[in-house]
Amino acid sequence: MRRLRPRLALPALLILSLVVIALAVPFLGLPNPVRQDIPNRLTGMAPGALLGRDEFGRDVLSRLLWGARISLFIAFTATTIAALAGTLLGLLGGWFRGMAEFLSIRLADVILCFPPILLALLVVTIMGPGVATLILMLSILYTPGFVRVAYGEVLSTRNQDFVTAMTALGATTPRILALTVLPNIASPLLVQYSLTLGAAIVVESGLSFLGLGVVPPTPSWGLMIRGARATMEQAPLLLLWPCLALTVTILAFNLLCDALRDAFDPKSAAGAGARPKPRLVDCLAPGLFPSRVDPGASLSVRGLTVEIDTKRGVIRPVDDVSFTIGAGETLAIVGESGSGKSVTVTGLMGLLPAAARPVAGEAVFEGHDLLRRSPDQLRALRGARLAMIPQDPMSSLNPVHKVGDQVVEAILAHRSITRPAARAEALALFRRVGIADPERRLDAWPHEMSGGMRQRVMIAMAIANRPALLIADEPTTALDVTMQAQILDLLADLRRETGSALIFITHSLGVVAEIADTVMVMYAGQVVEQGPVASVFAAPLHPYTAALLAAVPQDDAAPEPIPGAVPPPHQFPQGCRFAPRCGHALPPCGEAQPLRQFGNGREVRCARAGDLRFGRAAHDA
Amino acid sequence: MTPDAEPLLVAEHVSVSFSRKRLFGRGPAVRAVQDVSLRIGRGEAVGIVGESGSGKSTLGRLLLGLIKPASGEVRFDGRALQSLSRAEWRALRQRMQIVFQDPYGSLDPRRRIGSQIADGLAIHRLVAPGLLPEAVNALLEQVGLDPSHAERFPHEFSGGQCQRIGIARTLASRPDFLVADEPVSSLDVSIQAQILDLLDRLRRDLGLALILISHDLAVVRHLCDRVVVMYLGRVMEEGPARSVLDAPRHPYTRALVSAMPRIGTGGRPTRILLPGEPPSPSAPPSGCVFRTRCSFAIAACGEAVPPLTQTNHDHGVACIRLADLP
Ligand SMILES: Nc1ncnc2c1ncn2[C@@H]1O[C@H](COP(=O)(O)OP(=O)(O)OP(=O)(O)O)[C@@H](O)[C@H]1O
Ligand code: SF4
Ligand code: SF4
Ligand SMILES: [Mg+2]
Repeated sequence: MRRLRPRLALPALLILSLVVIALAVPFLGLPNPVRQDIPNRLTGMAPGALLGRDEFGRDVLSRLLWGARISLFIAFTATTIAALAGTLLGLLGGWFRGMAEFLSIRLADVILCFPPILLALLVVTIMGPGVATLILMLSILYTPGFVRVAYGEVLSTRNQDFVTAMTALGATTPRILALTVLPNIASPLLVQYSLTLGAAIVVESGLSFLGLGVVPPTPSWGLMIRGARATMEQAPLLLLWPCLALTVTILAFNLLCDALRDAFDPKSAAGAGARPKPRLVDCLAPGLFPSRVDPGASLSVRGLTVEIDTKRGVIRPVDDVSFTIGAGETLAIVGESGSGKSVTVTGLMGLLPAAARPVAGEAVFEGHDLLRRSPDQLRALRGARLAMIPQDPMSSLNPVHKVGDQVVEAILAHRSITRPAARAEALALFRRVGIADPERRLDAWPHEMSGGMRQRVMIAMAIANRPALLIADEPTTALDVTMQAQILDLLADLRRETGSALIFITHSLGVVAEIADTVMVMYAGQVVEQGPVASVFAAPLHPYTAALLAAVPQDDAAPEPIPGAVPPPHQFPQGCRFAPRCGHALPPCGEAQPLRQFGNGREVRCARAGDLRFGRAAHDA
Repeated sequence: MTPDAEPLLVAEHVSVSFSRKRLFGRGPAVRAVQDVSLRIGRGEAVGIVGESGSGKSTLGRLLLGLIKPASGEVRFDGRALQSLSRAEWRALRQRMQIVFQDPYGSLDPRRRIGSQIADGLAIHRLVAPGLLPEAVNALLEQVGLDPSHAERFPHEFSGGQCQRIGIARTLASRPDFLVADEPVSSLDVSIQAQILDLLDRLRRDLGLALILISHDLAVVRHLCDRVVVMYLGRVMEEGPARSVLDAPRHPYTRALVSAMPRIGTGGRPTRILLPGEPPSPSAPPSGCVFRTRCSFAIAACGEAVPPLTQTNHDHGVACIRLADLP
């Protein structure tokens, strides 16, 4: 939030100066705003009256500034009352539910049913016009907004673990509400506050204009517009000043509201920090080398390096990654979070975030370098020859379309066949991925399906156009083991039948052992070990691979933790990146290590590879 | 049984259901936990396993008194939770704590971790206000963190560190019963082992009774003395962790154990794939809730809920065909 100061600065400064002016008006030595001077009515700008005089000869500048004071006073007072009352009601309603909820929400609904003008007429009829009436009316008008915001926020906050934790600690309800819930719902309330302030000024001026608000001769912008309208022909400027003041004020409040909203929303804050860079230039420059592509490979990646612009400078979360995967093969990518697995595959698919770009390397897929294809060419490939299965099937399916229609759309996006033909194909795909009762399920909504079923729909969509390469980023992490077993079986079957290659990202070494032919272990953006799964798991060559294997609880061996954590990309060590956590480090490990060949398709990045023994090999020795 | 001999926590025939509000009236009730009985001794570790929606988390919260059972009774240290006054309840709360799955979600993002850890101490006035910082430092050290971290905010820590902070906060009130709801499932394996290690050490050093809710059978087998297997809100099998997980008897437990991916390909039992999906918990099958996916189901399975039959000491299986199973 601190980083967004510049966007907040302008509106905050405007509003601050308004407030200062409003407070300082009595001390500015301005002429009395209600003193009439009929002989000088409608005179233009003059030394005594900088902005001229109105239809009663009153000083316009003075009225304008006193008007600001009145407007702001009414708006701030009414909004503050509404905020206090609304927050309290919403807080109680959201926390205690039951009767409190019923009363506060229904009350808010009832008030919201009244058009503001009707409400104003009602209150004015009962109480007579004036500042107090206006404040009461505006407070009533804006309380429901705060009730709703507070109520909604409390509902989502009350189920958060840290609130439950306070309950479990035995904290009293007032303590929880004041110290835990309130601070966490404060930001949206603050946004609502600034929004309401702006709205209150508009409504106040509007009502005064209609004669339902501030009573003449009290200065008010609405009344000034009302008066100036009558003399529009003789003194058009009189209309300009209050309108200008009103516009600038409203604009300032809206800007403030926008800036606050962005400042409090972590998502848009992250987006604001990411500066897109021209992509094509970056992609065209590197790798003018003759390619060392394996002709039988489905995908051959050489030296893939990705850079991302961040606030801490340019980072390199993927550094010189190379691998080859043949048709019908499965490659598993493993490694702790933050090791660069997802950036690697999103880089290949052309789905990197705007601030990231591949800066070196090549990725040859069916004769073309993926890294050098245009965004349009990549879009045509994705979902057709190149398909992806996401981690979270819920957020990847569109909740407002039936699942069958989504599969049909995926087919039609890449092939020119008729809709009925596409639907028949979708049906066959549903049957293929083992969805029971496929005819009926085509017309199901995403929320009607379990996680496992949704993941099957995603797989059906991914294989719809018979891709040559399927990339699955943690496709089973969100599923139960029994569902996971079903999905792994399905993927293995599909690969056998269609001969497509599969890249499978996972945290689970058990899943790797089940599904993959080759495994690539990544650490801190680099490949540290690569080779056939059976031989890597039986006798790992890299200390990191060995440590990962030892960390999995299995049979009677106690799991052994790896001390420390993966360093963030801007703190990668100079030499071997695993050295700070490695129990086998020696002085040569201070140098950067190359990936070395080790026979039988194995590669490893360690100064001591070959000299250290782990796993079964260690026991045999 | 005399009150002294009673285990630390006893749950007898507890059930709870949730009903979703609809526009008019209420939707069908979700039977999250049905007729579950459980006992946990001092210093004992019990694992609760089962797939998502099987009622594991709800049972955990029920045992902590965070949710009230619709029927049945939970007794902690010989006293029924429902019968306690507000003050007694607050005093008891201090002895029962929870560790959550999402390490970030369980910490208040807007407060320094030191003051969050101090909450437990301050609420129950366990430490004089002047000594709070020292006590917080001691707790941080106990979970393997640097005392200088007290002044930082949650986002400055990694997931594993946040989980340690969460554990430090629960330890502040000196509990003797801890529910850990999937405490490691959002962490990397390397970090998982660190947290499991910590939990195991605390259990031995402090004599904590521990409920470990997890879908990872290997984790439960490693950390727990006993295990409870749940499916659709009911207990399918219960017993010593080793005997249940190494030689599962109930058809559901067998499928669950066989579905666990394992690194060594050697001794893995052939995978039993469960057909279809779990039924909706708002309309569970009659009789044995597992029968729609059980390959041994016969007509009689739909008639009555199978009772938990003791096979040998302390090992219960809820299946009427137990004797016929291969
Ligand atoms: N507050 C609630 N309101 C409505 N339904 C709920 C609520 N809490 C739980 N449920 C339902 O109760 C059932 C059991 O839920 P519970 O969270 O205990 O399952 P779980 O085994 O812990 O699952 P997971 O492994 O996904 O956490 C589920 O069907 C769930 O949707
Ligand atoms: S190079 Fe050295 S520090 Fe790095 S993994 Fe190998 S032995 Fe360990
Ligand atoms: S009671 Fe019947 S349906 Fe249930 S597990 Fe046993 S055999 Fe299967
Ligand atoms: Mg759960």
